[in-house]
Amino acid sequence: MNEIEYLLAAILVMAISTYLTRLTPFLMFTPGKENAKLNFVAKNTPPMVMMILVIYMLKEVDYLSTEIFYTLFALAVTVGLQILKRNALLSIVSGTIVYMFFVQM
Amino acid sequence: MIKTALKTSLPILFGFIPLGIAFGLLFQELNYPWYFASLMGIIVYAGAAQFMAIGLLAAGVGLVEIAMSTFLLNSRHMFYGIAFLESFGNWNLRKLYMIFGLTDETYALMTSINIPKGFDKKKYFFFITLFAQIYWVLGCTIGALSSEILSFNTEGMEFAATALFVVLLIEQWIMVKRLLPFMIGFIASFIALMFFIDHMLIVAIIISIGSILIFRLIKKSHDE
Repeated sequence: MNEIEYLLAAILVMAISTYLTRLTPFLMFTPGKENAKLNFVAKNTPPMVMMILVIYMLKEVDYLSTEIFYTLFALAVTVGLQILKRNALLSIVSGTIVYMFFVQM
Repeated sequence: MIKTALKTSLPILFGFIPLGIAFGLLFQELNYPWYFASLMGIIVYAGAAQFMAIGLLAAGVGLVEIAMSTFLLNSRHMFYGIAFLESFGNWNLRKLYMIFGLTDETYALMTSINIPKGFDKKKYFFFITLFAQIYWVLGCTIGALSSEILSFNTEGMEFAATALFVVLLIEQWIMVKRLLPFMIGFIASFIALMFFIDHMLIVAIIISIGSILIFRLIKKSHDE
């Protein structure tokens, strides 16, 4: 197997693996059936996952350097704007600009 | 509807373009032609897994190991589809594509938005999914093509992904307004970080779903 063949095979294998994870629930559960437990899980998973994803994104922050200060500041800008204006784009762009400003300083 | 879907998907643009560029730039270090980065964005379409793949490819790891690591890393996605069992509609190519496009970002966005009146949910979700993938492929391609052309300092741009999830967390709070799932997610994350830092996401999700089911059981037996 030459290098390009290896890369192509790896990409294919990754594509299949990834698709399988996303396809699994659709094969396991039948939609439309009254399943109180499943509906309950479906309803409660998004808030839990969002919380987990936010913490996941922040887990690499170095709490002993100045990084923690500008990260918190950029987060405050994002949260504050989102609560006040409810405009996702504005909140994300503003928070990111603040963050980039401090990182590149 | 396409216009509204485009507008709704824009927050993902700000997450995916810089992240995709970062991936493309790293991918260049493998010295493969640039279009393989685009190809990965098109047929794999998984942010974290693509970043991981750079390390695996550089080390020349075997295909079985690549398959298993990808599967493990993406196993959290097994819980995402549950929210869309009905809203993706009947089995057809569109549904297969929407399942393919169910990334962290699209899942987060599509569970946090209200569908405008008169819109066909399936089509609306389809266009959001499609636009999101276009942003990702664009990002990967720009990054893979442009290590020398890129004069703009993108350092810190990756914060956009964090900001996106923070915004969607607030939107979830406005929609759900019950403290319990947020608390569970919070505590589960810290347990997972403490004991399973390498597999934090999947462990935290399993603990969360397990816990919320236990709470449901307790409440049920309490009510009876």
